[in-house]
Amino acid sequence: MMQRSIQLLLGTGIVLLLLTWVHLFVLQPAQGANSSMIFWEFQVPRLLSALLAGAGLSLSGLLMQNLFQNPMAGPYVLGINSGASLFISLLILGAAPSFLNEFSYVSAAMTGAFLAASFMFVVSKRVQNIQSLLVIGLMFASFTGAIESVLQSFAAPEQVKQLFIWNMGSLQQMSAAQAPWLGAIIVFGIVATLFLVKGLNALVLGDAQAFQLGVKVKQLKIVILFVTALLAGSITAYCGPIAFVGLAIPNLSRALLKTQDHFLLILFSVLAGSCFLVAIDVLILLLDPWLSIPVNVLTAVIGAPYVAYLMLRQR
Amino acid sequence: MITIQQAQVGYQTTLIDIAELVLPAGQIYALIGRNGSGKSTLLQTLIGQLPLRAGSMSLGPYALTELQSNAALRARQVSFVASMFTGVEALTLHAYVSLGRVPHLGAFGRLQATDLQFVDKVLQALNLSDLAQKDTRKLSDGERQLASLARAIVQDTPLMVLDEPASFLDYFNRELLLDQLLHWVQQDTARTAVFSSHDIDLCLQIGIPMLVLHQHKLTLLTKPTKQEVMALL
Repeated sequence: MMQRSIQLLLGTGIVLLLLTWVHLFVLQPAQGANSSMIFWEFQVPRLLSALLAGAGLSLSGLLMQNLFQNPMAGPYVLGINSGASLFISLLILGAAPSFLNEFSYVSAAMTGAFLAASFMFVVSKRVQNIQSLLVIGLMFASFTGAIESVLQSFAAPEQVKQLFIWNMGSLQQMSAAQAPWLGAIIVFGIVATLFLVKGLNALVLGDAQAFQLGVKVKQLKIVILFVTALLAGSITAYCGPIAFVGLAIPNLSRALLKTQDHFLLILFSVLAGSCFLVAIDVLILLLDPWLSIPVNVLTAVIGAPYVAYLMLRQR
Repeated sequence: MITIQQAQVGYQTTLIDIAELVLPAGQIYALIGRNGSGKSTLLQTLIGQLPLRAGSMSLGPYALTELQSNAALRARQVSFVASMFTGVEALTLHAYVSLGRVPHLGAFGRLQATDLQFVDKVLQALNLSDLAQKDTRKLSDGERQLASLARAIVQDTPLMVLDEPASFLDYFNRELLLDQLLHWVQQDTARTAVFSSHDIDLCLQIGIPMLVLHQHKLTLLTKPTKQEVMALL
């Protein structure tokens, strides 16, 4: 059991290294006089975007599935990204240009993500089944989308364009200067989550049993909400809303590892999430000479059928 | 040992009034009462989920209020078995039973060699070793309920509370479960178990003391007979 998990972790790690190498050196070979500048200013941040967003999104998905005690939960389907989107839109359209910096972006996205996550969490107490919750998540997303549209009708064309590009989701928006910030947030999120392992494992049995095993359930849930918003919010701020990674990868992790030990699930989800997004970006680079596909389109092409399959299997 | 004084048990209204009651350790107590008489409410109070409306209660050396505010301490004093565990996908029986060790583990939840030995010993005693790697979703109701008992045993607390643990079990599994529970209590004189049940005949047959809930009162019958119980209900 343990051995199999270690093999899978090692295997995924090796695949990740290979993909990283292909991404940096095979598909984007160094050319010309500016190659070093291009490498550090464009290629590395792009790779880091994929690595960090993949890791963070799948970890936030794992946390949400634990919090909602529901394998179909995830930052995208439950409208957490939408909350972040809405707040970013409000910021881009409403704030003075001088106010638009790293800090304001990330805090707006995190605030939006946290409010959306809390809202969905409160709602989840009132609905009994997964399907209703997912529908409410969808409604929430289309509601925030509508507000964004209304806001855009007041905006200058330049702002609308900025928002439109951001909404497509992209691994090429993050600059070299921004990378350490996102890196620090994601690493903090992963380490913080590792300290929650005991509680996460117990929470699998439901609130009552977790309580009986000495877990401070309420406190734990607030921390989970906070870390989820931190991860999903910051990634949404830097890369735009990226769909399905957070839902699909933790499910894949449980299916492959056949465990509910969150220590292993966290490590594997982080690795597999990175692997998945880097692989997606490798695919984008491969197809680039013929057509340019936004990252969201590819994650949806692969993620949506898998999620549909999971839904069907649940019945 | 459980000591209760001038206690009022209930959510918004008082369901049970207990003037004074002492339950010595080293016994299994069967909690008997009609539907809606407040059996579950009393059990919720015993496990620290529900505060008393008035009065005091202590479990061993600890006051109930102390256990309510100290989660780590509570988890080492009281374990709980619900009437039904439906299983969790990808959670093996071994992993489920091991969760009983959670109160004794560090932040990362890693099981030490001694924890694993303890789990293996309990699994063996309950004849569950062969099922250890099976998914909890794929076990039978009886197997799952025994696993829940194993998890509570592994938690290693002086008090174990069980809410109708045998209600979904067939005759043989019911006997097996109660046998194992008796065995657990007899191993250590500091141990106490309280379980709620509708199976009066079975409880009379194994000759354990009964706590009878009737008309907002709780009566302890140390050597119950059927007439006595029926007269109260």
